[in-house]
Amino acid sequence: MKHSLTIALKSQSIAVERFLRVVRHRGFDLTHFQLNMDDGFYNVDMTVDSDKPIHLLTSQLNKLVDVKEVTLQNLQQQQAV
Amino acid sequence: MTGAELTIDLLAKHGVNEVFGYPGGAIMPIYDALYGAPVKHYLTRHEQGAGFAAVGYARSTRKLGVCFATSGPGATNLITALADAMMDSVPLLAITGQVPTAAIGSDAFQEIDVLGMSLSCTKHSYMVERAEDLAEILQEAIHLAQSGRPGPVLVDIPKDIQMAQVPFKPWLAADEYLPELDLKQVAIANQLLSEAKQPVAYVGGGVQAADAQDELMQFLNKTQMPAVSTLKALGSVLPDYEHYLGMLGMHGGQAANIAVQECDVLVCIGARFDDRVTGNLAKFAAKAKVIHLDIDAAEVGKRKPAKASLIADLKTSLPALECFVTPKAWCDTNKEMNIKHAWRYDYPGEKVFAPYLLNQLSQRMPKTGVVCCDVGQHQMWVAQHMKFTHPSNHLSSGGAGTMGFGLPAAIGAQVARPDDFVITVSGDGSIMMNIQELATIRRNNLPVKILILDNQRLGMVRQWQELFFEGRYSETNLSDNPDFVQLAAVFGIPGQTITHANQVDDAITALVNSKGPYIVHACIDDKENVWPLVPPGAANDEMMTEKAK
Repeated sequence: MKHSLTIALKSQSIAVERFLRVVRHRGFDLTHFQLNMDDGFYNVDMTVDSDKPIHLLTSQLNKLVDVKEVTLQNLQQQQAV
Repeated sequence: MTGAELTIDLLAKHGVNEVFGYPGGAIMPIYDALYGAPVKHYLTRHEQGAGFAAVGYARSTRKLGVCFATSGPGATNLITALADAMMDSVPLLAITGQVPTAAIGSDAFQEIDVLGMSLSCTKHSYMVERAEDLAEILQEAIHLAQSGRPGPVLVDIPKDIQMAQVPFKPWLAADEYLPELDLKQVAIANQLLSEAKQPVAYVGGGVQAADAQDELMQFLNKTQMPAVSTLKALGSVLPDYEHYLGMLGMHGGQAANIAVQECDVLVCIGARFDDRVTGNLAKFAAKAKVIHLDIDAAEVGKRKPAKASLIADLKTSLPALECFVTPKAWCDTNKEMNIKHAWRYDYPGEKVFAPYLLNQLSQRMPKTGVVCCDVGQHQMWVAQHMKFTHPSNHLSSGGAGTMGFGLPAAIGAQVARPDDFVITVSGDGSIMMNIQELATIRRNNLPVKILILDNQRLGMVRQWQELFFEGRYSETNLSDNPDFVQLAAVFGIPGQTITHANQVDDAITALVNSKGPYIVHACIDDKENVWPLVPPGAANDEMMTEKAK
């Protein structure tokens, strides 16, 4: 199932490495990734695909010190609407 | 003040009196600042030893453990200890020297991307890029390692920043985000408890991390709820609690595993449904509604869904549970099971029987003593046959399962608690993984005791080869081990070898009464296995026992 997320994080390369490592390790494939700098933060729009429930990823991302905010939109629900 | 001086000064200001480490080129300014400083440094003989000593220091006290290493191989040698601390939620600060800023990225001598390497085995990590950031980073790192769910934090400091003049900037921790109890979830939990006919408390390592043993025992004493413990939680439930059933899981007791399989409400207190605990997850406590208490929201629902989730410090969430008294019939059933499946020590042979030896040691050593384990059969026998009155007295590598943990962890525990009896129980495989730390015991005159259970095998792997690989004993024969008593003697540590059951009592007397370090090398039957055992893919009530194998 695909999920679309928006993530605000510290504008450091290592912050991106850190959260992408978590995405991979927790079993989610990256299918879309866009990074913009905004107001001193990196804003990331990304889509991930996995059989696993998305809360298993968002709960891990929310623990990262560099991550300021994780917002989830269910892509399939969006498309259905 | 230089960056190196500031580093040592900040550690001292945060109450760090002892650190463990090993010097090298890129961390020389910090070692220079240590010279004559009030922070005492313990030189280990390998950086992994320093990492595990810091873990032992932290786990035996709930204080921050600190270790130092140089760049490149110094830092890579720390990685296993960081991973161990990550899996077991240990507050650890690792400070590594890095090549000078201008050389980073040039494949300089002893340059490794330590920050990149740290990502999967730390709670957080930093490489200091500007001298003016050093103070803030160090203070934040010290705070992060100990806050919320504790864990390892690494700070990589380039040599030029260690040598630069740096400003001190006080850093005030932002108001720590601690999740507030969701009162709706508390109400659901209390409703489930009020309806429970067969509840069980499943107690994990979070109790030690939260320093919540008192709150746990108050809850248990009021509810009289049967309780089981994970490996890491051993000591959290006091062993004389009337309804304590011991450890659950792959090598847990039968009474503990059966109770969990039969329960209708499972109160998970600071535990994470680890696969060694659950066996076949789909069959684990299949009839139970789960109430999950944890400070880490990511653990709730990760492996097993919860009907009620109390995400908060256990010191807050445990008292929020109402204390309904557990139905007597359920308590009686479990008591009977506990008696029926009690451990037996009437071993018929003349050889040393490890469970008996450990049970006797447990009875005769001081109750305030610390037992550090390595990994394998001896580790499970310690968990089964020794009793602990506090989780800080049982240090076992739980999540990572790291052979080589025990000896350096015991060194750290002995440094932290110099007046307490500290012993490492190891196997002939594990002890050789960090045997060089005998030199650290000698250098510091530490009275660490050592018990080696020697079956001349990698015993747990051998056991699985016997049971599940048709007796194909691939690379598990260690019959060419050194003479461990002679080996210890080279480091000035006296001891004895025992081979017969009738030598056990005198050997324990020598261990317990020795003022300095002492080693007992106990030769045991190479065919002895750990029972019971939940085989791969089975449910926890489908245990193999010695008779049924």
